[in-house]
Amino acid sequence: MEDKDISSKIKFQNNWNKLKLWLVGNFYFPIKIQIMAKFMKRLAYYLAIWFKMSRNSFLVIFSRKSVLFVFLAGKIIRFVFQVLLIFFLVNGSKTLAGYDSNQTLFFFLTFVAIDSTSQFLFREVYRFRNYVVTGDFDLILVKPFNSLFRILLGGADAVDLITLPFFYLSLFYVGSLLSPSSLDVLLFILLIVVGLLISTAFHIFVISFGIITLEVDHVSMIYRDVTNMGRFPVDIYKEPVKSFLTFFIPVAIMVTLPAKALMGRVSFILVIISLIISALFLFISLKFWNFALKKYTSASS
Amino acid sequence: MNVLLKKYFQIFKTSFNQEFAYRLSFVMWRVRNVLQVLVALFLWDTIFSGDRNELFGYDRNKILTYVLGLVFVKAFVLSARSQDVAGEIARGEIINNLLKPVDYFKYWLTRDVSSKVLNLVFAVGEFFLLYLIFKPPFYFQENIFQIFLFSVSICLAIFIYFSILFIVNTIPFWAPELAWGGHFLITVIMVEFLSGIFFPLDILPDKFLNILNFTPFPYLIFFPLQIYLGKISGFSAIKGIFVCVSWVLILLFLMKFVWQKGLKVYQVYGR
Repeated sequence: MEDKDISSKIKFQNNWNKLKLWLVGNFYFPIKIQIMAKFMKRLAYYLAIWFKMSRNSFLVIFSRKSVLFVFLAGKIIRFVFQVLLIFFLVNGSKTLAGYDSNQTLFFFLTFVAIDSTSQFLFREVYRFRNYVVTGDFDLILVKPFNSLFRILLGGADAVDLITLPFFYLSLFYVGSLLSPSSLDVLLFILLIVVGLLISTAFHIFVISFGIITLEVDHVSMIYRDVTNMGRFPVDIYKEPVKSFLTFFIPVAIMVTLPAKALMGRVSFILVIISLIISALFLFISLKFWNFALKKYTSASS
Repeated sequence: MNVLLKKYFQIFKTSFNQEFAYRLSFVMWRVRNVLQVLVALFLWDTIFSGDRNELFGYDRNKILTYVLGLVFVKAFVLSARSQDVAGEIARGEIINNLLKPVDYFKYWLTRDVSSKVLNLVFAVGEFFLLYLIFKPPFYFQENIFQIFLFSVSICLAIFIYFSILFIVNTIPFWAPELAWGGHFLITVIMVEFLSGIFFPLDILPDKFLNILNFTPFPYLIFFPLQIYLGKISGFSAIKGIFVCVSWVLILLFLMKFVWQKGLKVYQVYGR
């Protein structure tokens, strides 16, 4: 009786193993779960690091309240001035490249939302030169996590965090005045994500250039100036500047396209092209980062 | 050469050469200036692209001249090294310069002049480059008196900006952590918007402009360009020049006063 039990157990085990092998062979099901689990674990690990780094960064900023107040005031004053000037300008001229005042304002607010979100996330980039010049970058390279992650996201900006909800609300309010459809809103959100990816790629280019030339401050300011060209719809620029801003330095895809999507002026093909260009841009920036890392000489250590 | 002149000429030379020590940085700074002018050129060209002849009191020639004129006037007025003083105070390095047998204000004014000369040389190149590429219409002022008043207004604007910079520079005497914050708020944000760099100020409603005219900011960029374009002439221009002179005197007095007060409370941190 016992022998029969054992043989049936072995038979069941063999069948079960066969079934598992068949599942693995045909659906890769258990492997996918393993990859997913590993990915989620890694994501949680990096998220925990980001929260810790951001908390430290916020503590530094909140410990100097006068600095926080001055920069906050500066950002709010700049925003109010820009909105007022655009309002008076477009009201006086009636339209700008075929867009009315609400639409022009929406282009500007989309730019502010993407720009401020990038500033909030990537503030550490502006301190990168100091790390390279002093040799402190060595200490980042030996840490048990991705150095690019540390340089890009290591110092979230509390000032931007305070202003972001206000900017998002303004964007939401002016956007609602344009009466978009659900599909327009969906495309807008998708293209905002694409815009943030392009912004990430820009910042990777800046820090990579910083390793090679030790020049970060002006390059990052040039990046700001180039993206500032997206404050207005790229339709105001003539060729070849317009194509340059669309394909070579994709400011048009980063800022103008999301805003146009909400106005229902973007075709599906254009969305696909923008996805491809942003992925390509990010890929090239990562390659450039790896190239720059190989050129790093740890000058001062 | 007079010994005093020789001393400041040497400071001028050293400062001029120092700019070339960071060549890439300087070139990047000029690229930024060109980009800012490019945006304004395209923006106004688009606004005047239809059959519109006049807007906000400007025709196409005058508005594009205003934008191109920004290249020169900014190089003359806003190119300065003296914003570095705030950092010197915050780090305590100022003591090295205060002990030298040089007038501290004249030292920085000389450095500012060297920066202006260098920026002006590049501005001329950029102007011709933009002119050749875009071939925008340009308004040439032929009235000698207007050109004279324009030159006077530029000289006064240089002194107004120098005084504003030095007043802002004194903030770290009391709050060293605000060395850059003060400049960000006043010499970046306020000057950018209220001096007419971003847009000619007369696109604003009259009420706003009248209030703005009570501040020194419009006299930095907007006022000189208005004189060049002939939009302010005759008695109004001379009246404006007198307002500029008044601002120079008020701000220079304020600068000296705040500077003396600051030096008394200063503890030379970090030394």
